[in-house]
Amino acid sequence: MSLRIYAIAYLIFLYAPIILLPIFAFNDATIIAFPLSGFTTEWFGELMTTKALHGAVQNSIFIAVITASLSTILGICAARAGAMYNFPLKRGILGLVMLPLVLPEIIVAVSLLIVVVQILDLGLSNWTVIAAHVLICTPFCIAILNGAFQNLDPSMEEAAMDLGESRWSAFRLVTFPLVMPGIISSFLIAFTISLDEFIIAFFLTGANPTMPVYIWGLLRFPSSLPIVMALGTILVALSIILLTIAEILRRRGMARVGVKDKGGFL
Amino acid sequence: MTDLISLTNVNKYYGDYHALRNIDLTIKTGEFFSLLGPSGCGKTTLLRTIAGFEGVSEGVVMIGGKNMAGVPANMRPTNMVFQSYAIFPHLTVAENVAFGLRKNKQMDKLQKSEAVDQALEMVGLKGFGDRQAHALSGGQRQRVALARALILKPKVLLLDEPLSALDKKMREQMQVELMRLQRHVGITFILVTHDQEEALVMSDRIAVMFDGEIGQMDDPETLYRRPNSRRVAEFIGKMNFLDADVKSVSDQITVDVAGLGTCTVNAEQAPSGIDTGKAAVGIRPETLAILFDGEKTERETIAGVVDEVVYYGDMTYYDVRIAGVDNTLNIAMKNLIGRPVLDVGAQTTVVWDARSLVLLP
Repeated sequence: MSLRIYAIAYLIFLYAPIILLPIFAFNDATIIAFPLSGFTTEWFGELMTTKALHGAVQNSIFIAVITASLSTILGICAARAGAMYNFPLKRGILGLVMLPLVLPEIIVAVSLLIVVVQILDLGLSNWTVIAAHVLICTPFCIAILNGAFQNLDPSMEEAAMDLGESRWSAFRLVTFPLVMPGIISSFLIAFTISLDEFIIAFFLTGANPTMPVYIWGLLRFPSSLPIVMALGTILVALSIILLTIAEILRRRGMARVGVKDKGGFL
Repeated sequence: MTDLISLTNVNKYYGDYHALRNIDLTIKTGEFFSLLGPSGCGKTTLLRTIAGFEGVSEGVVMIGGKNMAGVPANMRPTNMVFQSYAIFPHLTVAENVAFGLRKNKQMDKLQKSEAVDQALEMVGLKGFGDRQAHALSGGQRQRVALARALILKPKVLLLDEPLSALDKKMREQMQVELMRLQRHVGITFILVTHDQEEALVMSDRIAVMFDGEIGQMDDPETLYRRPNSRRVAEFIGKMNFLDADVKSVSDQITVDVAGLGTCTVNAEQAPSGIDTGKAAVGIRPETLAILFDGEKTERETIAGVVDEVVYYGDMTYYDVRIAGVDNTLNIAMKNLIGRPVLDVGAQTTVVWDARSLVLLP
């Protein structure tokens, strides 16, 4: 019984603050406090007309798409190598690749800032953010794609080659369709992570901020808080939608090839 | 029959590990050839070097008179049925079977679908074309894998433990079907198996492998009746071993056998090159007999005591202790009408015949 109370309390503390977002996003007052004063969609309207925000959103989407593509490709290579080949120090190398998963982002951000600015003497731009986001997203992609590749019978590609296909077309015709749900799922999760990542973007972004960095800037002006709430509402909705699609695709892929579900992130 | 495949002095190393040692073999067109051995003996590696999935470190692999060095699997006239069957789960049965025809430009769509229907009919899966491959049972997957390989009319069909995933009944049924299929299509089959009974039942010839080398290569009967070494004799069927001392070798061999005394065997009962000195004698359980009350024999007999009785219904296996031998002799007796099943400890007479002995170095 007490365990059940604990679980419920845990969930409330976890999600209650998020529920406040849509509540105040539709509240007709600039002050974030109860009681609510009325319903409005004014804040969403204001989002639509803020030019600087549009730039930040475009930036973020650009970064997220490139990041998701690159880290998914890297994830495919790593997961395939891990599932199909044996090589010296395999466990060690794969462990090292997964390390950014537990590395504090602030450490990643500061060290990359030093490398990029001090050592390589490059300017900060969207590409420096992309490089760092690929670093932190790749472990997630590998974890998701590992599931897809490990469910794969290694003799499947050999069978395709035995039936006359080249190494590449065997991959394209057999492996690729079978791991496709995993690839989409990996892409969507990396996209989501990159889209709302703040610390690294804050350190490494160039002249044009990403959306989370822009939101952080807005917080200095109390009058723009409701706009932040409205933006936050959209982001939360988008994240939930994307992650749900990712999980649905992953499960459907598992069911389609008739294998047992071995987990995933959700 | 002509030689279709010949391997000459093939060696394969994985680092320091010597996976294949000096393999020399030839396989004839239309032959059902088996590679038999315990797990880790190199039989699957050997099959994969023929298929083109593994290169050889030394030696030559020839298929149909062509050197296969540098020829990848997709360019070889071989097709393989994998142990896991490797059926593509995202395709239908028909798409699986038609997979190898993708690159075939001579056939139009209609011809291809006719070929698929024929192949499915041949393996007893007529009308299964539209099924999703992942929904098939083990036996059906195996048939799809066969159809998918045979539709390309390969010179050689390679089968990697194709029956090991099936239950006993299904396995026996598929053994018969595979043999029938092989006679029907006339394609050379190379089967990898660890199951000696399966190899004996199905093959024209068998190569028994141990530790990366071929221990003996013969037809099933020769392999069973005249194994050339102790390890082959042990691996194939049951065999009783007795210490022996070879006294003289000529057309006939005189040998002192522990427990049985001095006897004379023919030269073909020993591997060539046997010399005087310590050796072993092998006797199959079914070539020994127990003399039941009232039965008579002209053959040699020796007294023994029943040590263990294992009743199988149609057969009874006795372990019988005879004087002068540490281990017991395993004897297989059919449970014919009127024959009792002896009790442990019963005094009995064992019948044996020098003609059924095998001398082993």
